[in-house]
Amino acid sequence: MRATVRYLLATALSVGAAGPQSADLHGTARAGAGLAPDAVVWLDAPNAPAAAARRIVLDQRNLNFSPHVLAVRVGTTVDFPNNDRVFHNVFSFRDGKRFDLGMYPVGALKQVIFDQPGLSRIFCNIHPNMAAYVLAVDSPYFALSDADGAFTIASVPPGSYTYHAWRAGATELTGTWTSTPGQPLTVSWP
Amino acid sequence: MDVNPRSTADGLLAVKTIVAAASLACVIHASVAYAQSVTAEATAHAGHSTSTEEVSVAGAQLRAFGDAVSGVRFFAEAALAKSSDEDGDSDAFGAAYPYAGRVQVIEAYAERMFRPRNGLLSIRAGRYRTPFGISSGSEQGYVGFLRAPLIRYDGYYALSNNFLEHGADVVVGVPKLTLEASVGAPDEVGTAVRRSDVDSVVRLQGFHGPFIVGVSRIWTMPYQDPRFSSGRAVFTGIDLRWMYEGIALRGEWLTGKPFDGTTTTGWYVDVIVHRVRMGPVTAVARVERTDYDVPARPSRDLHATRQTLGARIRIIEGLSAQVNVLHQSGLPNYGDTALDVGVTYSIRRDLRRH
Repeated sequence: MRATVRYLLATALSVGAAGPQSADLHGTARAGAGLAPDAVVWLDAPNAPAAAARRIVLDQRNLNFSPHVLAVRVGTTVDFPNNDRVFHNVFSFRDGKRFDLGMYPVGALKQVIFDQPGLSRIFCNIHPNMAAYVLAVDSPYFALSDADGAFTIASVPPGSYTYHAWRAGATELTGTWTSTPGQPLTVSWP
Repeated sequence: MDVNPRSTADGLLAVKTIVAAASLACVIHASVAYAQSVTAEATAHAGHSTSTEEVSVAGAQLRAFGDAVSGVRFFAEAALAKSSDEDGDSDAFGAAYPYAGRVQVIEAYAERMFRPRNGLLSIRAGRYRTPFGISSGSEQGYVGFLRAPLIRYDGYYALSNNFLEHGADVVVGVPKLTLEASVGAPDEVGTAVRRSDVDSVVRLQGFHGPFIVGVSRIWTMPYQDPRFSSGRAVFTGIDLRWMYEGIALRGEWLTGKPFDGTTTTGWYVDVIVHRVRMGPVTAVARVERTDYDVPARPSRDLHATRQTLGARIRIIEGLSAQVNVLHQSGLPNYGDTALDVGVTYSIRRDLRRH
């Protein structure tokens, strides 16, 4: 019984979703002297509870994948609708989740479950300039930086974390971050 | 049926004027409003074909496309391409663009799509590729083939991939089954230019699992010399696509009359293979046949076959190489074999994204 209480207490503190001390983590991603949009930052959280099934859309519209970078938690189902009059083909062969959805017409939708952590490079075999990234992370604490390099990871429980940061064409950054009220996290690529 | 040429010409002019005005208004409005997403893309290509027909080509395309306002999207494309084959006799590298040696607007249209519940309604106006069969420029020009199928090249009395319509096009249905209708006027920029008149295309397309099947029919005007070609060109076609695990199988069968007193029937089947272990390589192969018959003058018949084997290799992002080896018969003045090699470089920039 005591062990159960300790476990529940520890879980509540570490996950913090319902904990009063959880706070949003604000931060900035930088690359050299500039800002780094479309960077993914996430915190290791091995004890985080399993996520409920989620669905997220990576649209094909105007001969683009939108968004260009998508960060999802492992187990997320990503919808790939075709909202162009031309056919599209969605495939990922290189790393991460490997699949080929074939060609499909306007209005049709195909899905992929990203069930393992890793980076998937998404392309269309018909349109050479269509490309996107899907980064699946095994953590509920992640965020994508906006055009100003700013990001917010919601409801992070207090504690010390290993963080990771990724952006296209750069090496992954890793470091530690300890929560302090109002203390931002800055990730910087040289 | 007698047709008054004057009234036909006037009607044509009216259709073109209305469509041009509507398209221009949309595009101008789009550029002024500078909407959510506008993308610019530039592509350059060069190629050489070695056989009895030594042909070298170089060209570039510039495109802009994206969202305008109120759900209206636009697409505009201009091309400049030059071939050493100035007569335009060879179909080498003619998969998707003409070689006119000057800047030409290929497509320029505005479109709006509605999605009522599970339905689909899309309206397009401007200048666009003739929506017959497998007609997308990317599907013909990028997947790895360097020549159009015989039945989709103007030199063989069939329907050219470079045909353009200047008019309005509507798609209605559900994603699994759509009906497309286009009414406009021929508006070619290549060497084969159809005579001007009101023409129309209808297309029914079904999609289920790995299969996509389409049936198309076109009523248009011939592009051949009017001194020997009279009447209208009418073609019917069936196209099929099947995809599974990186293998795409496609084919078209087409039959009709390019002008009175003649028939053209032909088909092609191609396979495009891009499996996980193939990395940057896409393998392609095509077999095809076309038969052009002139019952009154059999000496003018054309019975041609061609087999193509090739690959497209993605070298680095944006840069790819294509190589095709062909064996053919029944094409006068051309050898039995040809080797086509091409490179393509393409870049794009997002000009605006909120």
